[in-house]
Amino acid sequence: MYSIALYFFHGDQATAADVTQQVFLKLMTSIRQFRGDAEFSTWLYRLVVNACMDVARRNRSHQLASAQSSRERETPAGSHEEYERRERAALVRSAVSDLPLKLRIAVLLRYFDDLSYQEMAKALDCSLGTVASRLSRGHRILADRLKNLSDEK
Amino acid sequence: MKTLFSRHVSSKLLPLIDGELSPREAQQVQAHLTTCTRCRVDYEKVRSAIAALDELQTAHAPDSIWAAIEAAHTPQTAPASVGSFRWAYGFAAAVAVILVAAVVWHFAGRTDARWEVRRIEGSPAIAARHIGDVASARAGEWIETDSASRAAVQVGNIGSVELSPNTRLRIVTARADEHRLALARGEIRASISAPPRLFFVDTPAGTAIDLGCEYVLNSDEEGNGLLRVTRGWVAFEWKGIESLVPAGASCPMRSRSVPGIPYFDDASDRLKQALADFLSGNVKGNPLDVVLSESRTRDTLTLWHLLSRVDPGGRERVYDRMAALAGVPAGVSREAVLRLDTETLARWREELAWKW
Repeated sequence: MYSIALYFFHGDQATAADVTQQVFLKLMTSIRQFRGDAEFSTWLYRLVVNACMDVARRNRSHQLASAQSSRERETPAGSHEEYERRERAALVRSAVSDLPLKLRIAVLLRYFDDLSYQEMAKALDCSLGTVASRLSRGHRILADRLKNLSDEK
Repeated sequence: MKTLFSRHVSSKLLPLIDGELSPREAQQVQAHLTTCTRCRVDYEKVRSAIAALDELQTAHAPDSIWAAIEAAHTPQTAPASVGSFRWAYGFAAAVAVILVAAVVWHFAGRTDARWEVRRIEGSPAIAARHIGDVASARAGEWIETDSASRAAVQVGNIGSVELSPNTRLRIVTARADEHRLALARGEIRASISAPPRLFFVDTPAGTAIDLGCEYVLNSDEEGNGLLRVTRGWVAFEWKGIESLVPAGASCPMRSRSVPGIPYFDDASDRLKQALADFLSGNVKGNPLDVVLSESRTRDTLTLWHLLSRVDPGGRERVYDRMAALAGVPAGVSREAVLRLDTETLARWREELAWKW
């Protein structure tokens, strides 16, 4: 959950921690509202999605600067290979964070929690076709933005 | 049929890789991919994005989060509903444990898994230890059969590989996005039902890349051997040079050398011998002349691969023979073929593939 929030918010650790807290607090305060008409995991993922989207909409001015500053805080230690790996990871993280909100959350849910399209459709409250479409668009955009990365490898 | 497959399938490529298409849809998309360059480019894009996402590492929430959650919640609930709070808090804590476990499971799932190895006969071994009827092997381990044993390896959930006697095979990568084996010597029979380029077999002479198929691959310790495809397509690649081998065709492999030239198994013996002579540099008997004269329409498979392996003079003769046998489609010019223009060659191959 924290990873999803972290990558969703450009690597901003403070916002990711806030979102994680929000989800857990919501979970604890509203657990009695959970009536079992949906799977618990679906309900939980909806909380995660809603928290991420709500915070993102509130912070529309959220800038890439936070990601860059977070990158700058990382210690560039280790071998040349390790340095290159970190650089690649930073580029991928930045490309993911720049995806449009709906594509970004879909890619992260799929990637980090390996949700099936059916589970994602429930968590995102949309159709299976929409899930497939958002994921496909997200991956194509990522590939285009990371073209140089694949060329260098 | 061609119309059915001519619609582009970009939006179905990720669902194909993710196993989210029905078997019929998956089959249609795979068939389209064998002939459509544009969708194959998109397919590679999607795969490259998936590979790029592997660069991301899981991040662990700082411990301070849990203290903050407790601090934020406690004042609102005590003392009136201590019982329900404790229950809810306990439940949330349990959920936290489940979430952590889910994350651990998720990342464990992305690392190399174990594949089932079944004894067919004799005493096959994994990591030099003889196995019973069923065992499992993971990345890095060798599976070996002696002269009296055979074994079958379940390749993730995409198919299986049977090891003939005297075969030595290593699992290199056992991940959902890459299933890779290394054949040191012997013979394997692979049967794979998966999107293209998810299953690879390295040999000393190059790599067999599955494009959705069944095939038999044998190799000696130097890498000399033969790839024979019985269903679908296989690409055999060495240092960026690729031979494409369809069902019913074979491709010789040569140690530390460019891949052999594929030929249909029902081609004439004279053609096969001349091809072998040509590749070994034995020009006695003018092997190129024999290959050209013995070629049928479907042997344009062999001629197409020869285009880039002959000198400019020979290339003109190969082109003329191909044009006479199969015609030249729109968008393919003699001049572009003779200068080995990559797009033109791919375009011609796509048209010729209907005759293979």
